[in-house]
Amino acid sequence: MTESDIITAVNEVFCEEFEVPLKELTPESQIFDDLGLDSLDVVDLIVALQKKFGVQVRNDERVREVRTLQDLYDLLEVIKREQTSA
Amino acid sequence: MKRAVITGMGVVSPFGYGIGDLTAGLDTKRCSTRYIDQWASLEGLNSKVAAPLDIKPGGKIPRKYRRTMSPMSIFAAHAAEEALQSAGVDRKQVGDNPRFGCIVGHTSGSPQTLYSAYSELIKNGNYNMFAASDFFRTISHTAVLNLAQYLGITGTVMATSAACASGLQAVGAAFDLIRTGRQDMILCGGAEELHKTVTGSFDILFAASTNYNDRPEATPRPFDRDRDGLVCGEGAGILLIEELAHARARGAEIFAEVIGFHTCGNGSHISRSDPEIMQVCMETAVKAAGMNGENIDYVNAHATGTEQGDAAESSALKSIFPEGKTPVSSLKGYIGHTLGASGPIELIASLVMMRKGVIYPTLNLDNVAEDCKGVLHVQQPIEKQIHCFLKNSFAFGGINAALVCRSY
Repeated sequence: MTESDIITAVNEVFCEEFEVPLKELTPESQIFDDLGLDSLDVVDLIVALQKKFGVQVRNDERVREVRTLQDLYDLLEVIKREQTSA
Repeated sequence: MKRAVITGMGVVSPFGYGIGDLTAGLDTKRCSTRYIDQWASLEGLNSKVAAPLDIKPGGKIPRKYRRTMSPMSIFAAHAAEEALQSAGVDRKQVGDNPRFGCIVGHTSGSPQTLYSAYSELIKNGNYNMFAASDFFRTISHTAVLNLAQYLGITGTVMATSAACASGLQAVGAAFDLIRTGRQDMILCGGAEELHKTVTGSFDILFAASTNYNDRPEATPRPFDRDRDGLVCGEGAGILLIEELAHARARGAEIFAEVIGFHTCGNGSHISRSDPEIMQVCMETAVKAAGMNGENIDYVNAHATGTEQGDAAESSALKSIFPEGKTPVSSLKGYIGHTLGASGPIELIASLVMMRKGVIYPTLNLDNVAEDCKGVLHVQQPIEKQIHCFLKNSFAFGGINAALVCRSY
């Protein structure tokens, strides 16, 4: 997946699962404060991302450091690469 | 004991959203049973009919609350909003009020989500794919927890779970909490959503209708000679039960007074109806209301169209009303069996009949079965003033419930 593919796929999850308008999805958007997700949503976000990307995210400690959409794009790029090459 | 009155009503039924749609369907004697195309190829499912709600739940409920709602919770929320509106109760009076409660029953957690979530879990064996929102949809008190969160209810919040008697038990529980002074107002009722596994559970017990797949509008057929089983429906019925003095103090319109309730087990068989205990349940509710059989102007029967259940209820009714002068009708022929929601939905329909002075007939009852005779079956609309009526709900597991209301 290219970086652009990852951004598109993550944004689709936010639009489809969490009804966030596409125009609000900027790289610097804070997932909690700007996009309105809460702790319960994060559990479902992880499940949705796992389905979308075919990877395991839930038990990855690095997910706790994610604050912005850019953080998420970057993490998924890394995880996708790690788990694809493994 | 305090007195409990009904000051609000709301419905979602196979006819649509609101009491207006329900009444229009009943007035025009429409059967909402349909052939379900998606079930055509399901092996072993012989019943291919159901009474679905064609209009899917709207997006009016904010996502924060809707995210954990399966259709049954959405139905309950819409019905509750209608109930509050009809009661003239503002949302601000509901939230953060320890004297305002909520009791809603249904057969199980969301069957749609149970099926989808567990299918995936069993297939993949991967718990990492189980969504948090799925848990709140599948939990056994999903409708009431979602409704209570949506409305910010901090009074008594409970779920009743007794299959097809769940909703009427919820109303009965609310009645008791109001009478004993524990709460001032309670939203109560039942909710249910359609799924192939629900119809399938009745089908394997030979309780679902299977002979009318090519003529869905002819089934179910409560009390009829050619009845062959029930048809599952979906929806919600929610009532606002209020302490009388509280209702009068705020100038509320009072639709009726709840005056008697009883629920009991049959202790004899898990799936076979017991007419003697049904009779005991009805008589106890009527007696608790300070009434006797002669005071009952109408019985809204549970009768779902099953061979054994309809005969048992008829037998019990014959014993209570030996002269056969009390009109009896079932509404399952219009809206199918909405299971845990059926008691409250049909209770509300009975309150509509009370207001209109008309008794809706049993749809699809063309020839009264021999084993259902001896009861005054309503086969055409009857104009009649209803001052006092009895509502029955009977459930698998031998659970019976009966509620008595009178005009106020």
